[in-house]
Amino acid sequence: MALFSVSKTAFLLAFLSLRTYQSEVLSEPLPWAPESLKVSVNTTSQCLHLQWTVHNLAHHQEFRMVFQIEISRIKTSNVIWVENYTTTVKWNQVLHWSWESKLPLECAKHFIRMRSAVDAAKTPGPRVWSSWSSWEEADVQNSLGQDPLFVFPKDKLVEEGSNVTICYVSKSHQNNISCYLEGVRMQGEQLDPNVSVFNLNHVAFIRETGTNIYCKPGQGDGIKGTVLFVSKVLQEPKDFSCETQDLMTLNCTWDPGSDTGLLKQLSQSYTLFESFSGKKILCKHKSWCLWQVAPESQDMYNFTLTAENYLRKRSVHLLFHLTHRVHPMAPFNVLFKNVNATSATMTWKVHAIGKYYTLLCQVELYGEGKVTQHNVSVKVDGVHLFSGLEPDTEYLAQVRCANGNHFWKWSEWTHQNFTTVEAAPSEAPDVWRNVKIVQGRCVVTLFWKPLSKLQAHGKILFYNIVIEYLDRTSGSEVLSIPAPASGTELPLNQCSSQIRITASNSVGTSPASVLVVSREPGNEEVEEERVKGTEDGFPLSWNPQPRHVTGYLVEWCEQPRDPPCDLQWKNLGPNVTSTVVSSDAFRPGVRYNFRIYGISTERVPCLLARKTGYSQELAPSDNPQVVMTNLTSHSFTLSWKNYSTESQPSFIQGYHVYLKSKAGRCHSGSEKAVLSDDAVCCKYKIDNPEQKTFVVENLQPESFYEFLVTPYTSVGEGPHDAFAKVTTPDEYSPTLIRILLPTVFCILLIMITCYLKSQWMKEKCYPDIPDPYKSSVLSLIKSKENPHLTIMNIKDCVPDSIEVLNKQEGTRKSFTETESTKPTYLYLLPTEKRYSSPGPCICFENFTYNQAASDSASCGHVPAPPKAPPSQLGLLTSPENLLKALEKNYMNSLGEIPAGETSLNYVSQLASPMSGDMSNLPKNPPEPALCSEYKMQMAIPLGLASPPSSGSSSLSSITLLDEGERYH
Amino acid sequence: SPGAPISPAEPISQAYSLALYMQKNTSALLHTYLQHQGSPFSDPGFSAPELQLSSLPPAAVSFKTWHALDDGERLSHAQGAFLALTQHLQLVGDDQRDLNPGSPILLSQLGAARLRAQGLLGNMAAIMTALGLPIPPEEDTLGVVPFGASAFERKCRGYVVTREYGHWTDRAVRDLALLKAKYPG
Repeated sequence: MALFSVSKTAFLLAFLSLRTYQSEVLSEPLPWAPESLKVSVNTTSQCLHLQWTVHNLAHHQEFRMVFQIEISRIKTSNVIWVENYTTTVKWNQVLHWSWESKLPLECAKHFIRMRSAVDAAKTPGPRVWSSWSSWEEADVQNSLGQDPLFVFPKDKLVEEGSNVTICYVSKSHQNNISCYLEGVRMQGEQLDPNVSVFNLNHVAFIRETGTNIYCKPGQGDGIKGTVLFVSKVLQEPKDFSCETQDLMTLNCTWDPGSDTGLLKQLSQSYTLFESFSGKKILCKHKSWCLWQVAPESQDMYNFTLTAENYLRKRSVHLLFHLTHRVHPMAPFNVLFKNVNATSATMTWKVHAIGKYYTLLCQVELYGEGKVTQHNVSVKVDGVHLFSGLEPDTEYLAQVRCANGNHFWKWSEWTHQNFTTVEAAPSEAPDVWRNVKIVQGRCVVTLFWKPLSKLQAHGKILFYNIVIEYLDRTSGSEVLSIPAPASGTELPLNQCSSQIRITASNSVGTSPASVLVVSREPGNEEVEEERVKGTEDGFPLSWNPQPRHVTGYLVEWCEQPRDPPCDLQWKNLGPNVTSTVVSSDAFRPGVRYNFRIYGISTERVPCLLARKTGYSQELAPSDNPQVVMTNLTSHSFTLSWKNYSTESQPSFIQGYHVYLKSKAGRCHSGSEKAVLSDDAVCCKYKIDNPEQKTFVVENLQPESFYEFLVTPYTSVGEGPHDAFAKVTTPDEYSPTLIRILLPTVFCILLIMITCYLKSQWMKEKCYPDIPDPYKSSVLSLIKSKENPHLTIMNIKDCVPDSIEVLNKQEGTRKSFTETESTKPTYLYLLPTEKRYSSPGPCICFENFTYNQAASDSASCGHVPAPPKAPPSQLGLLTSPENLLKALEKNYMNSLGEIPAGETSLNYVSQLASPMSGDMSNLPKNPPEPALCSEYKMQMAIPLGLASPPSSGSSSLSSITLLDEGERYH
Repeated sequence: SPGAPISPAEPISQAYSLALYMQKNTSALLHTYLQHQGSPFSDPGFSAPELQLSSLPPAAVSFKTWHALDDGERLSHAQGAFLALTQHLQLVGDDQRDLNPGSPILLSQLGAARLRAQGLLGNMAAIMTALGLPIPPEEDTLGVVPFGASAFERKCRGYVVTREYGHWTDRAVRDLALLKAKYPG
């Protein structure tokens, strides 16, 4: 009862107040001021939480009101935030409002007040505000505790790129506190003596475990810090799509983008909401979600996918018709039936989707490098017939299906292999031959190309060869060659024969290839033409044959340098007169020869043309081996007969002969050329490749030349490396040789003659000194005058009783005074003993020539040492000493010297009258006392013995020997 | 018989071996721990000796004081410290499982350190039994854990625990070496 009366009173009051409001709204201050304002601080979210009520609101009253809220920091006058909060207010309602501070609330005191007004948007005029509430203080610094230093906010979670404010609160009044972000010092501003603030702009994501921010005082007291958790920005899900395989389950997928998970925050969550059914599910996976379809109840779906984390939400929408998003499962049970050589039937099954849906299936067949595609409409079982297949071929068939009514996506492929069965080869083997005559027999070598897979239709097992001799008498031969062979050699009984070749596989035999061999040799006189190869091959052309041909054939060797030349051939149709032969085996610098045959209707080949050429000509790599002959002083001949022009890497067009000389002049027929090493030389050009000799002329005798012979081609010359060297001989040397040789021969002949006649020569030139004992005179004397007369024996001579008679004292004096006037003597004795002592003297008498002299002479007075050294005697025997003795040519002949003047005297028996100037002759006779002389017994030619023409007082000796000593 | 005195040499030797083994790994544990906490902890030469935990007795003691302790006191101090360390290592392991979930090496090292500390506790209890000393009751040294500690505070806390674990291990090696000399086997 009491409650009822209270409510009744309240109702009345509200009613009255409404009436009051209606009458006085514009004149009186608003009665519904905020009251009971309470402020609380949530430091985790850094929020100020306000709650208040509105005074005097009646029970039934409901107003739209505006609350103006003012927030001051540190002191009430420092208003940092003013906000109008509009809401509908009911009776007895506690109002709430929150404000998130950018500055950590622990860093400064905050003051909050508010006032209210009725939100009368329709009413013109200024708003009528209530009076302000009193300031409410929000201060958490008092509850911090006793630590000297605090860093705020604690464990703050922010998005990457946002701005964050950090502060520290120091209770120890230290000013030298430094703060760091990941080791880098931050610059802050002082909010009050104990609080500093750091504004971080665009904070970056560093790591999932957060970013350390710490402060430390200058001295000790440890570190304080906080961890800032920077999250990546949540992205909108991309590629959101839903589809069904069976109209039972929808599979929705999306790309979630980067993960925003942190220690302080789980990864973003995804929820799927369908607006038609109003159902919502929380997805268990980050990138996909399954949605159960209520059977046959809903066709349209409107999905909203929402990604959400602690800081943000993002949504995407998708509206679709269920049957338009059918993605069937892959077909299954793919089988092949009735597989034969050219066809096969494929069957498969599909997963049904509903009762009324037809699937469109795509069938693809891969085989022999080709793909064929067919579309088949399928309910449950699919069937397709592949036809036109190749025998013995493996095929890959695959099938996929899609919704035939509303195409969305193909299913995955299901594939299966099958192989068609073999069939008989379809084509005759491509056969060619080479015929040679060995010992009068025809030997044919057959070559065939293996049938291609498309022609063979299976594995070829044998090649069958049937030789039918055209001469019927010989019958035929049959051969079978096992399969991998590609040729065989057959000696034929007869040349004229027809050869049929077939290939067999397990199913059958191919058509036959027919070759006719005839005894007549081919038309080998066809002139060879040159052909220029290109990158594509050798373009060959020939004249069409007037007579009917069934085709043409080009034959060549792919390895022309090797003995098994790898014979190749190419069959061409009868209307073809040109072709291009190409092969990977063609190499630059190799000469290839092509022979073109016309195949007659009788299958007889006839050589039509021969072509030769290079796929690419290369400059010669070698120069000919040159032999030099006929070297004369003006020319020489070069020859390189062994050089093969055929086996060169390009067509030889001729030769260049280079000649280097010191003169550097080039004669007619040559031109100056500068080599790559700047050497200048003369170049002779030979245009004919078969001219392999060359005479280099107009050379200088006794000159050094270098020469080089190099072939030249359309692509260049051979290398300029090894010049051969030659020096031309002297011009006169041949003449000299012609003169010298006979001269030498003559001299030799004379010498030999002299040698042979030496005894005679000796007798003629220097006869032996006669032995007095053996002289005939002796016997004469003995017999006539004195039978007791004997030849004096030297031993009988008394050496110390030489008596010298010299009548001319004055003359001897002059001799001693002036030696220059002394006539020249050559002493028989050694020279050192010349004046020392009187040497032994020997007297030789020749009674034959000077009887008178010998008579007067007294040999008994010849002084001689008792023992004469044998060498002294030997001196006389040597021809040299003989010639020396000739020097002592006394012009004063014996006739002028009286025999009595000198007791010991030897007088030449061959004294000749002298025509010389006698006045110059010394008047004094030669030194008589010392030595005996041997007077030459040979006549001296006058010319040689003539005295010097000058008026010299000395008597020069005539010098016959250059090396001889001369005495003056 | 239960009343028969047991030779203390064997448990002393076992405890000493274990303490030596622990000593080898303490610096590695501290290093691993600091490397996972970011700057300034991972900075080269990081050291903050002023950081302490009121619930964990510091190992640092003046040599004179330490030498003046009798065996019972020395063992009692070590026993109390390793009891506190086992509980704190558990706390730090939990903290790091939260802060560094992707670092199994750190977590396994912390777990191993806690198990070894428990093993050493058991060995010390055996020594005290052998010496006839009273075994102090197991206490809840941690008391009320500040679960609301910030991430930075938890990093600091872990640092102090791993550091003191090393210091206490060093001290235990010295304690046991002294005992080993006194009770040769």
